[in-house]
Amino acid sequence: MNSICRAGAAALAAALCFSGAGEALAADPQLCAVCHGPEGNSIIPANPSLAAQPEQSISIQLFQFREGNRKDAQMTPMAANLSNKEMNELAAYFSKQKAAAPSHKTSPENVVAGAKLAQQFNCAQCHGPVLRGQQHIPRLAGQQYEYLLAQLRKFKAQKRADLDGNMTSAAQPLSDRDIEILVDYAAGLSPQ
Amino acid sequence: MSSIPFRSFVPLVSLVVGALSAASALAQAPAAPPPSWQQGRSAEQANSPLHPFAPHMTGRASKDLPVDKLKLPPGFKVEVWAEGVPEARSLALGDKGTVFVSNRIAKSVYAVVDKGGTREVKTLLKGLNTPNGVVFSKGTLYVAERDRITRYDGIEGSLDNAPAAKVVIDGLDPQNQAGHFWKFLALGPDGKLYYNVGAPGNIVMPSYFQAAISRVDPKTGIAEEYVQGVRNSVGFDWHPQTRQLWFTEHGRDWLGDDSPSDELNVAKTKGQHFGYPYCHQGDTLDPEFGKGRDCKAYTPPVLKLGAHVAPLGMRFYTGKMFPAEYRNNIFIARHGSWNRSTKQGYDIYRVALNENGKVIKSGPFLTGFLTDEKADPPMWGRPVDVLQMKDGSLLFSDDYNGILYRISYAKK
Repeated sequence: MNSICRAGAAALAAALCFSGAGEALAADPQLCAVCHGPEGNSIIPANPSLAAQPEQSISIQLFQFREGNRKDAQMTPMAANLSNKEMNELAAYFSKQKAAAPSHKTSPENVVAGAKLAQQFNCAQCHGPVLRGQQHIPRLAGQQYEYLLAQLRKFKAQKRADLDGNMTSAAQPLSDRDIEILVDYAAGLSPQ
Repeated sequence: MSSIPFRSFVPLVSLVVGALSAASALAQAPAAPPPSWQQGRSAEQANSPLHPFAPHMTGRASKDLPVDKLKLPPGFKVEVWAEGVPEARSLALGDKGTVFVSNRIAKSVYAVVDKGGTREVKTLLKGLNTPNGVVFSKGTLYVAERDRITRYDGIEGSLDNAPAAKVVIDGLDPQNQAGHFWKFLALGPDGKLYYNVGAPGNIVMPSYFQAAISRVDPKTGIAEEYVQGVRNSVGFDWHPQTRQLWFTEHGRDWLGDDSPSDELNVAKTKGQHFGYPYCHQGDTLDPEFGKGRDCKAYTPPVLKLGAHVAPLGMRFYTGKMFPAEYRNNIFIARHGSWNRSTKQGYDIYRVALNENGKVIKSGPFLTGFLTDEKADPPMWGRPVDVLQMKDGSLLFSDDYNGILYRISYAKK
């Protein structure tokens, strides 16, 4: 636990450790909630919501962080000491939480334009018709706007770890404007 | 990084897109290039909900899975042999009983050590690039990565501190190819290492040593193409008597639920061509690449294994534990279909041959992973490779759950 607190580095996580809550298990979802919000509904724009994400999509991302395939200053140390079993438990927990209504509101002109781009650029093919995700593919509907924007830009720049290469290839034809429209659209969709 | 698979074609796409993006983003732009697995899909299939499945990289506990629903012929039984082996794929057996396990995504090779009733899973090698192929011979572990084949000598004596890799051959992926870039590896009776280089997409024209099975002499590092026209083979073995190379091959996708069939092939001589991309299953010309071709020019399969069943690892059974009729049979791990509206496969398949090496019968041997052929996902496990153990029992891997199972036989 100490190593997680030390390595966690994130100010919020550190606060939790010093307050004595650091005795919690490594796989305690409350530790995740510090950054990912109550029940995994993020209130920090740069951090993704985990609530109601497909179970396999959460466990795979934790695996990617632990194995060093996906890197993040805060998440890498948080995942470093988690066992497969703990990752599965966290994934199961957050997948069963109810997703909060999105804080983002799609601008009116992008409601139709975003849906059209989601078809044209194959988003809906894998993420589902209303982008709620399935199996290893994450829910985009109602996800934090800033987080989605950052990820899609990283995929386009070929700097975001990708299980099978599909997202990197899917992001290549997107213009900056396409990305903004798609993210504005997805972040405002109902998550459940 | 996993973005590598697509690097080769990305610049081309970027150029096109650069030109397009000058126009309004919302203009009637042509549809974006699809992800690799959608390549070759017809306009009518554009809204198909079919998609590949991904393994549970963190594995799933066998106690949460319906292992008791797996079915075998009378007298056989199956049990979980080891679990917690991320994305378990190809298998190799060490002289001292170590089972080496590969994968495509996890970047590690795992060693499973039998401690008499319990098994310990060790992370043996780390930081590899798609280490799908593993072979053990005379104390040495050979690993086929995406772009090279390496050797680790005296490996079973240093499972906690593996020696540095020595390169047998590298430069196997000069184009950073998309599509089928993982490699299967097997040691031939000629002492050479055989490996596949798959086609760089679903249905595309391969370039030089792609869509082929090649071999390299581990003593000299000199390689040559052995047979060609092989879309992707992720399993091969040599007949114990004829010493001919038998291999499984995946047919192309998006040509319908029942076409083409995946294949079991025999290579009799160097230089044979097995049809891809011109002719599928020995008798069906490709709608695009087959124009002006004749299937007679290519070697047909000895057995059609079913459309989209995804046959992977295969081995001849030479053990004494199973009944005599199983001797020199082939066991094939069929990973199961995704590119089919009604799913099939997800089993261990048995092929029986006569004394002349001709197929006399075939059918599923172990079933039960497929629970609902219309569901998404339709299965709870996916066999990848088979491995005969010293006692004649048969191990097989399941990458979906990270589990190794053992099949044994006892006379009633």
